[in-house]
Amino acid sequence: MMDAVQISNVTKAFGTVTAVDDLSLTVPEGSVYGFIGPNGSGKTTTMRMISSIFYPDRGEVRVFGKQMLGARSELIGYLPEERGLYRKMAVQPMLEFYGELRSGRNVTTEVESWLTRLDLAKWASQKVQSLSKGMSQKVQFIAAVVPAPRLLILDEPFSGLDPVSADVIQSAILDLRRGGVTVILSTHDMHTAETMCDSICMIFRGKKVLDGTLASIQDQYGNDTIRVAAEDGAKCLDGLPGVERVRDLGQIQELRMARGCDPQQVLQTLIARTRVTSFSVMKPSLHDIFVRIAGPHAAEAQNA
Amino acid sequence: MHKGLHRILLIAKRDYLATIRTKAFIIGLVVAPILFGGGFLGIALIQSKPDIKERHVAIIDRTGVLAAAVIQAAEEKNAKDLFDKTSHRQVQPRYVFETVPPAPDPKLQRLALSERVRHEQLFAFIEIGPAALDAAPPSTNDKDSKPGPVATYTNAGGFDEASRWLGDAIDEGVQRVRLARLGVDPRLVPDVLSDVKVDRFGLVSRDLKTGEIHEAGKKNEIAEFGVPFGIMLLLGMIVMIGASPMLSAVTEDKAQRLVEMLLGMATPFELMMGKVLGALGTSLTSSAFYIIGGTLALSGMGLSGLVPFAVFPWFYVYLIADVTFLCSLAAALGSGCSSPQEAQQLAIVLLAPVMIPYFLIAFVMQQPNGAISTVLSLFPPFTPMLMLLRQAMPGGGVPVWQPWVGLMGVLAFTLLMVTAAARIFRVAILMQGRAPKVADLVRWAVRG
Repeated sequence: MMDAVQISNVTKAFGTVTAVDDLSLTVPEGSVYGFIGPNGSGKTTTMRMISSIFYPDRGEVRVFGKQMLGARSELIGYLPEERGLYRKMAVQPMLEFYGELRSGRNVTTEVESWLTRLDLAKWASQKVQSLSKGMSQKVQFIAAVVPAPRLLILDEPFSGLDPVSADVIQSAILDLRRGGVTVILSTHDMHTAETMCDSICMIFRGKKVLDGTLASIQDQYGNDTIRVAAEDGAKCLDGLPGVERVRDLGQIQELRMARGCDPQQVLQTLIARTRVTSFSVMKPSLHDIFVRIAGPHAAEAQNA
Repeated sequence: MHKGLHRILLIAKRDYLATIRTKAFIIGLVVAPILFGGGFLGIALIQSKPDIKERHVAIIDRTGVLAAAVIQAAEEKNAKDLFDKTSHRQVQPRYVFETVPPAPDPKLQRLALSERVRHEQLFAFIEIGPAALDAAPPSTNDKDSKPGPVATYTNAGGFDEASRWLGDAIDEGVQRVRLARLGVDPRLVPDVLSDVKVDRFGLVSRDLKTGEIHEAGKKNEIAEFGVPFGIMLLLGMIVMIGASPMLSAVTEDKAQRLVEMLLGMATPFELMMGKVLGALGTSLTSSAFYIIGGTLALSGMGLSGLVPFAVFPWFYVYLIADVTFLCSLAAALGSGCSSPQEAQQLAIVLLAPVMIPYFLIAFVMQQPNGAISTVLSLFPPFTPMLMLLRQAMPGGGVPVWQPWVGLMGVLAFTLLMVTAAARIFRVAILMQGRAPKVADLVRWAVRG
């Protein structure tokens, strides 16, 4: 199977700031490829370069084997992070405008079908400014997927969505993927990345620092994480020998072991301090890996 | 159709329909000519309500013989000018004179009369000096505050018609006394001094086919001044209707994050050109409204001969070029702004190519084929307005080559502006936060 996107040694700078630095990656066709990374790490710039909105200063971007060189293609659907809709236009004419702009043909049928599918049919003739935020997000999503792109680029598709709307969009994305569409999405939600993405790429300060499936990424770190639930909670974990970091998740805590630390020894020490109700040794979560690379401040900024 | 062209036309259609369906556009279509022509309406309104309150004027006559002649001349002018000949409505104030004997201290007398003017007992006073009857009275320097042979004193504004009116009456009175002293029968003086009517004609021509000589047509003030001025005013107004909203429209699209969405589907050049064409469509719609409306109105009044059909093709060529380059400039400037407030500060740049020619109207109309008028009308940003003004003047005699050279310049300038604007637009449109400096804009325009 060919690669949907091939980025080779791409660099993009804005003035003195290098947003993307010698980045290379490939996105297999038909996969869901997730970009993670702190704010300002270069995810959006990379996505804009794939969409030909930005041109790389160096290197090359190929989409389905072709170098884009600034051309627009109906093969690509793009949902920007900042939502842009004509507030004074009615929903359906606006979506038809966007669809025809992308494809060069009338897309009324596709628009009607998507409006029905996302339960927006009765809002078709309403002005965009009368929609709720969740509905506007769905409309924006429809604008990206009409008319049937082969590559769908979604910059923070779940940002600001309520759980019900997020589920609807997620389900639609996975349906598109089943239909052979390649999806590139960026997300701040590590759980979404873990559950939806076939491959995950972390960009940090313009450079790729992780790339692969979740399992292959976790394998790089080994079973160095303990998830524990104890009657005295986090306070009994202070100064635990062999433990580098404790992450308090409320009802459970996540411990990161130092290299060479024996989990059995940790368990014995814990039992001596309190009653342990659950103890499991596992690979680190994507969130933990993210924090290890970007630092706790970046994680806090992400979740803010 | 080429995909890029299709996208340009699609964006143009959306922007065009979005604009002409707004109440602001429809109201603007009616209000704009009122605003632009408001000055003339105001003048007409003021002229229809003249100040006709009686004006009392005192005369100190140090010659002993002139006051009576001046008063007689003034009374005759009162009788002649006071009422409109057709409506019989009073259109001027009546001037009422009183003679004041000269006092021994002229300074004190002037002060006393000035006080009467301040207290509105008098409108003005006239002091006729002893040298007023001299054949060649000593000339007075305007910078010299000492009064000449005859002086009027008033606190009326500088543009008050009264100064001219009183001046004419004094002039006529003095001339009558001088002529009487030379032995001319006083009864003949009004005829001697009556104005000679001078009619203005164009040129006589010969019909090349028949050899017949055609008499010159009488020059018409409306055709001479009103038509060229009106058509230039119309061009400027329509250009501004099309171009001025572009600045804020681009900034709003940017602020509402529409731009990134659109740039995922169209190139920056396609997006900008689509917007420019949309604005051009708006201008052409406005122009059709005014041109058709104006032509029908003039025809209805039996004045279809005043419609300058010959310059309409030029009007539209200049309109298209002017709107295209101003909209491109507006798009480029708007793309660099982060808020509509920022964009407003740049509006003056857009107004300049329309407003500066307005300030030059009087100069160009006085010397339509002078060297400076020619150079100014060949300067591309001003060509549409000034060349059109010159071309619309009947018998203006603009050499045939000039409009074509001007047009070449305008088209080249427009192409240059569109290219530079597209480069700036591409770089600036996705920038947020810091507003670009002039140096940035120049660098982007040159290098892209």
